[in-house]
Amino acid sequence: MKKILIVDDEESIRFLYKEELEEEGYIVECAKNGEEALEKLIVFKPDLISLDIKMPVMDGIEALKRIREKERHLPIILCSAYGEYKQDLTTWASDAYVVKCADLTNFKSTIRKLLGLS
Amino acid sequence: MSNPPNTYDLLKSIIQLSTSSIPIQVKLDRMLQSISEAFQSDRCLLLKPEKIDKNGFLSRLVSEKKPLWVEEGSSFQKENVLSEEKELLCPSFACVPLYDEASFQGILHIGFLKKRKFSSEEVDLLLLIAKEMEAAIRNDRLFRKSEQTISELTALYEMGKTITSTLNLEDRLKLIVATGLKTLKAKGGLLRLEERKTGELKIKYSIGEYHQNPLDEKIARRVYHTRTPLSFHRPGEEKPSFSILCAPLLSKGRTFGTLAFYDKDSDSTKFDEKDFQLLLLMVNQMSCAIENALIHYETSEMAYAHEKTAKEFSTLWELNKALLTTVNFERILHLTLTAITIGEGLKFNRAMLFLVNEKDHILEGTMAVGPESAEEAGKVWASLSQRKEILSDLITQLSPEDHSALNSIVKGIQIPLEQDQCILSRTVLEGRAFNTQFPQLKEGWLQTRCERGCHLGSEVGCYVGEHLSRDPRVYSFATVPLLGKGKVIGVILVDNLYNQNPITEEDIHFLSMFANQAGLAIENAILYRNLEEVHQELKETQTFLVHLEKMVALGEMSTTIAHEIKNPLTSIGGFARRLDRAILEESREKKYTQTIIKEVSRLEKILNDLLNYTQDESLVFKELDLRDILEESLSMVTGGIHSGGIQLIKEYAEEIPMVMGDSHQLKQVFFNLINNASQSMSEKGTLSLRVHPFSKNGSPYIKVEVEDTGKGIDPENLHNIFNPFYSTKEFSLGLGLPIVHKIITSHRGQIEVDNHPGKRVNFIITLPASERGREKRFKVAEADQ
Repeated sequence: MKKILIVDDEESIRFLYKEELEEEGYIVECAKNGEEALEKLIVFKPDLISLDIKMPVMDGIEALKRIREKERHLPIILCSAYGEYKQDLTTWASDAYVVKCADLTNFKSTIRKLLGLS
Repeated sequence: MSNPPNTYDLLKSIIQLSTSSIPIQVKLDRMLQSISEAFQSDRCLLLKPEKIDKNGFLSRLVSEKKPLWVEEGSSFQKENVLSEEKELLCPSFACVPLYDEASFQGILHIGFLKKRKFSSEEVDLLLLIAKEMEAAIRNDRLFRKSEQTISELTALYEMGKTITSTLNLEDRLKLIVATGLKTLKAKGGLLRLEERKTGELKIKYSIGEYHQNPLDEKIARRVYHTRTPLSFHRPGEEKPSFSILCAPLLSKGRTFGTLAFYDKDSDSTKFDEKDFQLLLLMVNQMSCAIENALIHYETSEMAYAHEKTAKEFSTLWELNKALLTTVNFERILHLTLTAITIGEGLKFNRAMLFLVNEKDHILEGTMAVGPESAEEAGKVWASLSQRKEILSDLITQLSPEDHSALNSIVKGIQIPLEQDQCILSRTVLEGRAFNTQFPQLKEGWLQTRCERGCHLGSEVGCYVGEHLSRDPRVYSFATVPLLGKGKVIGVILVDNLYNQNPITEEDIHFLSMFANQAGLAIENAILYRNLEEVHQELKETQTFLVHLEKMVALGEMSTTIAHEIKNPLTSIGGFARRLDRAILEESREKKYTQTIIKEVSRLEKILNDLLNYTQDESLVFKELDLRDILEESLSMVTGGIHSGGIQLIKEYAEEIPMVMGDSHQLKQVFFNLINNASQSMSEKGTLSLRVHPFSKNGSPYIKVEVEDTGKGIDPENLHNIFNPFYSTKEFSLGLGLPIVHKIITSHRGQIEVDNHPGKRVNFIITLPASERGREKRFKVAEADQ
């Protein structure tokens, strides 16, 4: 069972993703911001992280940097309402970039791809 | 013994004859006849003084002033009797010299073949008669002398009268020479005057024949320099005889000319002392008059020159006043040329203006004013002469004739400025005026030719000359440089093609003066025009910047809002999908969740469009073929165009230059347009796609048209279709066309709408060809040449 850490400041998003991904058969843990995500990383040891970008305390870009320092090969998806970050070089350190959308098909297939499940 | 003469009858006859008005020779002949009859003499004659030889006995009588009586009983000493005098020695004779106090008039001789005595009565009678004859001769001489004096005085009077009758120099000189000629009875007369500037003696007026003899000139110079009158006669032997009187014209001690007369007109071939004196008298009288006339002439010349200058200044002032009425470039040019051609102005037939194009180093024909033909010239001049306005008002009222053939010819003329063979080009390079008067010789009009380098040059003559007149040999024209501030900004060419008036140096001088004024006005107009252009550009830029700023603010705001909405929307949609999956297919709630999912999708699409619009995505510009872009956009349209009742017409030109652009953005443009079109036609109609190259201001462009036969656009909405956030039922998303507009603008292109509500609408997009596309096109154009 693959473990996925959802990092997003919006509770409704965390809730939606958790429900959807658990239904897909993943073990899902959530964090409210980058700082919490770094804590959860040690305890939860996820197989994949979905990172929102705009978050209070510590944003996704900073969190991405910190996580990469520890876990070079952990798959990380940047998942943002902003499409423009796609062109930001700093986001290139992630493995995928998914623009938030009510239709989670693309999100889910990206996760499967990164976990080597498809 | 002869009868004594009847003393009374003889004296009566002699006195009657003496007081009669018959000519003197006849008078004397009749007196001699009366004497002879009265004395019954065999011989009676009057010996004229010139017939008396000084060596003869008669001359002794003359010197002794005593009569000689040879009669019966008296002896006559036959000493000193010359052979011609011998016949006078009759048996009885008397010789009575005719004397008065001052002169000797001859000797009265009366001879008898028989010896006789002279009674004291007869002696007295003869002495008395001799006295009477002497008086008659003297009176006649006096009469003739006074007659001549009267005629001389009359001549002088005539001369004085005539020369004071006119102040015109030419007439006055003519009269003086003519009167002199008449008075002196000469064959020719010649007046020479000193030229003020050069000090040379020049023939001013001549009448009759005068000698081309080199002596004539020499004599005149000598008289002029020595201030001494001269009478010269060369009797005709081998050469024809030559007689001249020449006197200096003196005033205040200096010579200013000579007056000479040649050859006596009458039988006497030589001028005599009296003629000479008469000439001196005339010259003394006339000198003053001639000098006065000269001064008057010079004064009036000066006055005329001043008046002319004043008139020129007044004209210049009027013209300048007209030039000041406007700063419009075209208007100033037209005013300038009108001023040059109008009768009240500079009076040339036609005027053409060429301006220097510094960038391309050429002279460009800019405008021309003048009638098309001699007939038109006549009409125009006649109608203008009817008008009574002030010059400055008149020329501002005349409007340009854009359609004149002359104007078109001149506008088509371009002359490279390095042409040292072309007068127009030289006028600019040398900065001076040229006046080319009727160049008769080929060498004369060669200088108007543009020989090498000027593609307008031709074999027959200068392009300008050739087109402005049929025959360059009889075409005369003048050019003046148009001066701006310290540089030549153009050339004005003028001619008098129709009335063939010669162009004088004064004309050129006045034209140059005016050209200096006009040059400044034209330069100002050019500066003003540039200023206006820059001002207009600035205004447009400012409007654009204001608009841009609004858009940026709006963009920022909408981005923020879009993001705020996006997260809740994601969860709403996400959970709606979850609910949807959990609900049975046929249940009523399924429809609710479906509606939520659909509407959330719509909202998400709007937000994505919005974010796409406001975000400046980094663009990748590449050379593109618009036909490929159009084809790809066509294939992206959902459902495709081919299915259904929509007919697709493609008109693509074969040779289309590439454009520089971002393929992704341009695809979106045509996708939006094609999508709108197919939606507006609701599955029935014709969609036309056209791609054609074209040229604007010498640069290549590509035009793409997307036309549908749908409903068109409601005119009320037309001005809002490119406005973001404006939505109609037809364009439910509202951002399709603003995005199209934004992308086309960022590609330096333009979009236009040809709208026919209810029938069809055509979106016309023009994009500039890429630089390489331009080069390619240019090379093709060169290859064609």
